[in-house]
Amino acid sequence: MQSSFDLQYIIELMPILFKYLGVTMEMALWGFLFALILALGLALVRVFKIAFIQHLASLYISFFRGTPLLVQLFLLYYGFPQFMPIFIGMDAFTAAIIGLSLHFSAYMAESIRAAILGIDKSQMEACLSLGMTRLQAMKRVILPQASRVATPSLMNYFIDMIKSTSLAFTLGVAEIMAKAQMEAASSFKFFESFLAVAVIYWVVVIFFTRIQHLLEKRLNKAY
Amino acid sequence: MIKVSNLSKKFGDLAVLKDISFEVAKGEIVVIIGPSGTGKSTLLRCLNYLETPTTGQIHIGNATIDAVSHKVKEVTALRQQSSFVFQNYSLFANKTALQNVAESLITVWKIPTQEALATAKAILIKVGLKDKLDVYPSQLSGGQQQRVGIARAMAAKGEVILFDEPTSALDPEWVDEVLAVMKQLAIEKQTMIVVTHEMQFAKEVADRVIFMEDGFIVEQGSPKEVFDNPKHERTKAFVKRALKQH
Ligand SMILES: Nc1ncnc2c1ncn2[C@@H]1O[C@H](COP(=O)(O)OP(=O)(O)OP(=O)(O)O)[C@@H](O)[C@H]1O
Ligand SMILES: [Mg+2]
Repeated sequence: MQSSFDLQYIIELMPILFKYLGVTMEMALWGFLFALILALGLALVRVFKIAFIQHLASLYISFFRGTPLLVQLFLLYYGFPQFMPIFIGMDAFTAAIIGLSLHFSAYMAESIRAAILGIDKSQMEACLSLGMTRLQAMKRVILPQASRVATPSLMNYFIDMIKSTSLAFTLGVAEIMAKAQMEAASSFKFFESFLAVAVIYWVVVIFFTRIQHLLEKRLNKAY
Repeated sequence: MIKVSNLSKKFGDLAVLKDISFEVAKGEIVVIIGPSGTGKSTLLRCLNYLETPTTGQIHIGNATIDAVSHKVKEVTALRQQSSFVFQNYSLFANKTALQNVAESLITVWKIPTQEALATAKAILIKVGLKDKLDVYPSQLSGGQQQRVGIARAMAAKGEVILFDEPTSALDPEWVDEVLAVMKQLAIEKQTMIVVTHEMQFAKEVADRVIFMEDGFIVEQGSPKEVFDNPKHERTKAFVKRALKQH
């Protein structure tokens, strides 16, 4: 089956696909928010070396960094309901967000931890010497500085997460990749469909990369 | 007001402080001198529990703590009784001079922010930094940073301020302005324990000089006694060398 490249088709497909970008971005934004919260918790547990829990945190990080995201998504969505009834009713969209959060939190925890450890230890001592608690010191002095250091790499993870949401179609989430797949299957214009979806991801990523640069510039000016 | 009893500190097998006991009265200015590596910094850091002593008791103001049975609450309480001026300033890089000084008032003493900032401002004016209130540490000279460091320690409402070589990291041109602030504090009878190599400062300002070597207090007394009439050979040797350098 030989056919020529159909630009017209791409132009018509774009607005159709675009409607599904919302689902993609929703997954990425929720996923990133939860991942950030989890990552901060994991990073603090490891920085404070909280007895016992710190080993659990290390295990968690090792597992989610050591196995493919797709495998984790399948395990969560298709595997867990077999043993844990609470997962049975879970819809694919929620499962994708949970899976993305768990996966990315492991990476983000490490970059937050590195940023915290990069802040001169003597500032923590200065806080303690004034009678502040470790948690107060973290909140008021260390984390504000660490977040500045970690922002570029966290933004990279966010961009990575946007692209990774495309895996959610394997769980049956009707996002932009799933729609492209459907369109391709019915029109047999595979190249055009997947090129269209690639272009949309690309534009979105370029947009957020711009934001990332602006953010970095602003942060560098702060103090 | 400050009572240290039988304080010892080991790093692994290395005994750095060996059975240190001394007292400091309210308003007294104590200067600690001694060769490098004899445990002066470790002693100050133990007083603030930035290092946990191996054994011994520390009593400052209304806080008492025993190394063997210390609890987190007691440590925080002890730290609130003293404040620390660091050799490398250790200012909060994300906060302005004013915010650095106000921080302990806001977080530790729960003073309303406006009031805390007003107090901080008054203290910064006192150390001569009236026009640097809203400047970040990275924009200040070493001498100015250390004056902010001292202002931050003054604000902390502690009974005593601990200084660990506050002028050692400074370019020579900034040393005097920092010493001047410390002298002013001495005039106001602020209790201070100062580790320093500035022998002239020790002679002029100290009520008492403690000479430490190898983790022991070898000798202590008025500056006159220690500098002009040292009893121990080791003190004699150290003082002779130290005074020659200046
Ligand atoms: N955290 C640590 N771990 C292991 N050893 C340490 C530690 N801190 C200090 N020491 C050792 O303890 C000894 C005393 O160090 P300390 O810094 O208290 O000396 P000091 O009298 O302040 O010296 P200086 O005049 O050079 O500042 C040194 O031998 C040092 O190497
Ligand atoms: Mg020292």
